[in-house]
Amino acid sequence: MIERIVDAIDIETTLLSKDEEDAKNTAIQYLKSLGFSDVDVVFVEHNGFASRIRLRAYVFRPGDKYAWIFGGDAR
Amino acid sequence: MKFVLFPLDPVHDVALKMLNRELLKRGHQTVLLPPDTKMEEVVEICQREMPDFIMVSRTVGYGAAELLARFIDMLDAAGLRKKCKVVVGGKAITKELAAELGYDAGFGERTSWEEVIAYIEGGGFERKKVAVTKIKRDITHGYTYEVRDGTFKDLLDKIADQILAWAKDRTSPGIERAKIKEKILEGEELLDDYLKLCDELVVSYFRKNVLPKKVRFITEEEKKKFERLVRGINFDGKILRHGLDKPLVFVQYGTGCPFMDAMHIKVSEAWGADGVLHFDPSWGARCEGLLEGLLAHEEDGSIITLENLKLIKSALSNSTLWCVRAHRGLNTPETVLLAAHAGADLTKINMVYGSLNGGTDPERLTVDGVFALQLSAKYKLAFDIPTNEELGGVPAPKAFAGMLVVAHLGVKLGARPILKPLFCYSPDVMINDYMKDNYVDYNAGKILALRRIMDAPIWPGEPIGFMTHTEDRVQSAMTTALHAALASSLELDAITIASTDEAYARGAITVSARIDTLRAIAEAFRFFGHAKIEPTKKAEEYAEKMVNDIYETLKKVAERQDFVAALYEGLFGTREEGANPGRAGRGTVRKC
Repeated sequence: MIERIVDAIDIETTLLSKDEEDAKNTAIQYLKSLGFSDVDVVFVEHNGFASRIRLRAYVFRPGDKYAWIFGGDAR
Repeated sequence: MKFVLFPLDPVHDVALKMLNRELLKRGHQTVLLPPDTKMEEVVEICQREMPDFIMVSRTVGYGAAELLARFIDMLDAAGLRKKCKVVVGGKAITKELAAELGYDAGFGERTSWEEVIAYIEGGGFERKKVAVTKIKRDITHGYTYEVRDGTFKDLLDKIADQILAWAKDRTSPGIERAKIKEKILEGEELLDDYLKLCDELVVSYFRKNVLPKKVRFITEEEKKKFERLVRGINFDGKILRHGLDKPLVFVQYGTGCPFMDAMHIKVSEAWGADGVLHFDPSWGARCEGLLEGLLAHEEDGSIITLENLKLIKSALSNSTLWCVRAHRGLNTPETVLLAAHAGADLTKINMVYGSLNGGTDPERLTVDGVFALQLSAKYKLAFDIPTNEELGGVPAPKAFAGMLVVAHLGVKLGARPILKPLFCYSPDVMINDYMKDNYVDYNAGKILALRRIMDAPIWPGEPIGFMTHTEDRVQSAMTTALHAALASSLELDAITIASTDEAYARGAITVSARIDTLRAIAEAFRFFGHAKIEPTKKAEEYAEKMVNDIYETLKKVAERQDFVAALYEGLFGTREEGANPGRAGRGTVRKC
């Protein structure tokens, strides 16, 4: 599927966390454990005990050689 | 002290301007540079001015790290790095990035200028928290329940008196079980008597320990761990209404598992919900008798037992209003009783909807409903009257006629009703093109009509925007938010909102989907504030027609002089319109 993704995969979830930093760190670690290297936290809102979070793993940044043009493992 | 303020950004410099204003107010000297100044030029100015601090801002994320690294290198090469403190702030900045690049400090998004000043001047800074105290509200407060038009009052009196006279010498297994359960709750040993009035599923559970399908016991260990978790949950109160008094925002829960329900409730509370509604499994409404104990259910709807309800109650914040629905099945009176004993604030009773679209026999639900209303008065539980038969196709005026009968009946019995019209894109609306242009006028017309008839609280549900949601979360949150804004414009007392999973039917609602909608309506309330959505003149036309149609329905029912017969015969909605008198409990009403 990865070669058909235009730019990025977003993962959204709500997780129990003690603060925003805790949520961010846990989330980034998780994304990296999935094999993504170009990762970020797009949005996080913490309310006391839980965080609503949107994670992003870029598959292609603008200027990359996109697999959806070149096919296969272009990156 | 002296400052050079430099927006390392093509356009964004508002934050630096605000900081500059504060620095000047405090007697500091500043040089505020415009956006897009070349870095070489900035270095030259700094060499000339020799500031104590160089304040850099960066909003745009693209290339931020590279540019900031280059800038700090240039300062270093010019010998300024050791002489001045270099601070970076802005949307693209994190503390970690600033430290990594060698800046003295970094301030990210949502930093206040007080925080930056405190750093510069060496003072302490504590983020001020605005403490929000949420108070549990009585939705019915201030309403007189006066029927505003004498002709309506005469009709409603006639119908309600006929129902009361009819129900006076009738009873059912549901009523008798509620009476027995009331004594059991007072400590009497009456389980044998109770089980004589129950279906086999309930008898097997008590006698043979046989659980219904997809139901499991919650263990004591799970309960203890859950209680420990809930005790540790703290969050600041949040009010969604942006300075408005109304509406209160309710969410529905009923994942099947009380633990998951409780977590959804806590998250909903943390994101601003004012109240929650308990939804039970549909099979529970068609079974004579209720189970007991802590039970989890793998499918939609959380089983009503006193223990389950108490577990959920233990997780609720003090300010959260709690409604346990009881309106549609064979356990209606007993559910009101358990709701009261578990500490609920509200319940839900509507014999018309319950018998025309909820599957229960009209005669049975009428006699049970009257008793449930008496219990609701006795235990001081206000009750809402849903009109979801509209979703089955029944025209709104007929559903409203039924709702007004139940409301008036409740008032006569000393209870406090809440009218619950739907804000929805119903089959009747689709067929008649009432919403061809917009979703505002017909919904507004409903409220205008009801207000002309009765002085009662109005709480659209369940949920608002029914049948306008799709599986796309942005669309779903948007339509809920817009309907919420309409409710706010109409100064309604409360709303029930869906999650963004409203139209998704292949699995359970997620907690994130609940947050989506709560955030969306917070934004809608912020956007409109005290401004209003203005309906067109069609709203008035719809209201007038609706009042007339409600009157015609009530007139026919009053003339029939038999409420139960009116239900069977389609006066509150015909089979063609989608009203189908239920069969559950048929033939179980007896004279007493």
